Amino acid sequence: MNLNFDYTLFIPEFMLAGLAAIVVALDLFAPQVRKSWLSYVAAAGLAVTAVVSLSWVNKDSTFARIYAVDNYTTYFRVLFMGTAAVICLASARLVEDKLRHPGEYYGLIILSTVGAIGMAAARELMTAYLSLELLSFSLYILVSFAKFDSRSNEAGLKYLLLGAFSSAMFLYGLSLIYGVTGSTYYSGISAALSAGTHGFSFALLMALVLILAGLGFKVAAVPFHMWTPDAYEGAPIAITAYLSTTSKAAGFALLLRLFGGAFQVVHNDWSWIIAGLAAASMLLGNLVALQQHNIKRLMAYSSIGQIGYLLMGVAGLSHNTASALVLHLTGYMVTNLALFVVIIAWYNLTGKEEITDFRGMRERAPLLAGALAGALFSLAGLPLFAGFVTKFILFQAATEQGYYWLAGIGVVTSVISLYYYLMVMKEAFVTAPAEGETHRLRVPYVMQGLTVALMLGVFYVGLYPQQLFSAIDNATRFLFV
Amino acid sequence: MESVAQKIPLEHFIVLSGVLFSIGVFGVLSRRNAVLVLMSVELMLNAVSINLVAFAVYTAPSLFVGIIFAIFVITIAAAEVGLALAVVLRVFRNRGTANIDEINTLKW
Repeated sequence: MNLNFDYTLFIPEFMLAGLAAIVVALDLFAPQVRKSWLSYVAAAGLAVTAVVSLSWVNKDSTFARIYAVDNYTTYFRVLFMGTAAVICLASARLVEDKLRHPGEYYGLIILSTVGAIGMAAARELMTAYLSLELLSFSLYILVSFAKFDSRSNEAGLKYLLLGAFSSAMFLYGLSLIYGVTGSTYYSGISAALSAGTHGFSFALLMALVLILAGLGFKVAAVPFHMWTPDAYEGAPIAITAYLSTTSKAAGFALLLRLFGGAFQVVHNDWSWIIAGLAAASMLLGNLVALQQHNIKRLMAYSSIGQIGYLLMGVAGLSHNTASALVLHLTGYMVTNLALFVVIIAWYNLTGKEEITDFRGMRERAPLLAGALAGALFSLAGLPLFAGFVTKFILFQAATEQGYYWLAGIGVVTSVISLYYYLMVMKEAFVTAPAEGETHRLRVPYVMQGLTVALMLGVFYVGLYPQQLFSAIDNATRFLFV
Repeated sequence: MESVAQKIPLEHFIVLSGVLFSIGVFGVLSRRNAVLVLMSVELMLNAVSINLVAFAVYTAPSLFVGIIFAIFVITIAAAEVGLALAVVLRVFRNRGTANIDEINTLKW
């Protein structure tokens, strides 16, 4: 067997690891450097690495058959690095005011990006598992990063215990797959399954259930969502944004690669499980969101609902649905980042995170209020914004696979979600500001720039999705080889 | 290696690991102390290691994939415990308890 040990394929990951080390070292050995500069260093490094990783476009190759560097990996590399850069920039003020050890904070964000990229690139179970744990471990620390805040500790503990439990289940599923098929390569698993393993079908079903339970925890699908609201509420707010974007997207990147590459041949054995998870997530996420009064918890349940829409694409997994799923995922990430930048900026200025504390945002910070409205409309799926087009394409792809009932639930729950998004907007636009809190707030230029850039992204996805969609279509081709 | 595979059928290992895994799951669901929950997760991970080594020996003795995988699992389990105990310690310092029923400021 001739294996390709081309270490240059890992250059972006090596660069990220080096960047993480540089950021930590800067914090340690250069105490006179202003700490907010660390966030700019981290964001600039991430941006440079994202540009470097573009040189692998249309170069399909793998490292020893375990780590694919194709368009799919490149797409997620750029997406994850961009997200991490936005999070680093957005958390500059927050880290300075509320947290200690900024070097480790940015270093861990960068390392978790490496893990997320590995999940998208892995074509072998051990690699996938190691990347998953790299991402998860970094996130466990980041969620409990506010060392002296007991809510952050509690969120970290819950996230960690449930995360460890779920990854143990995931791992048991992987070991059963290895036993059934005798291989840990996705291609080997697929070959063994298509050759027929009738004697082992029960073990295979059990393995699939355990793997789905483990990954369901990671992406927070109902009924494995219990940690989500607590972890979202307790975590530092920028980390909440990170949890709701990269951590979920990485889960889906792995899910698509694993199920497309290894289990597509036994599609009928697992599609009904995922369809059930999707329906439960859409319904529970959107219904429980109706009674939330904390913005972070609201976003937690809203993201659970969004996970339901995305799982719809996995249930009827094909090239078309995979493309639609990744497009919706991208639109969701851009929109969520825009929304969270607004929430972070507002939190920095007022120190509050209840929905009723958004009152008077229209008078006090019109730019933020406008972006808030746009992002919420996009999440609810109104035309012009990213959410409408991407959801439309996703639902259409699902119905092409025969999942009419799932698409129906999706449409109904989208309408329900509009209600609680509008409740947030009502506070920001209609309710008058409290006495003595009517003066204009000065939003820092970095946050203004980020808000505008992300809103442009939301409109770009919403109005001109063709270019993006063809890039994604070109990337998801590699899932089914 | 050969003699073990001849004397003991594979099913024994699978049953052992299944029982160990189930005890672990039961422990996670029933124990109220965070440290004991962690220990139960460790049991689950050990069940995985037994599975991987047994499958490696019985199905593909010439390849060491399963055994290497088991070593990685052990390493990661060690890292996980280190991380988790640090967080438990923080919670204990802030709250004076490691009982997960009493850690309930965040709900609904």
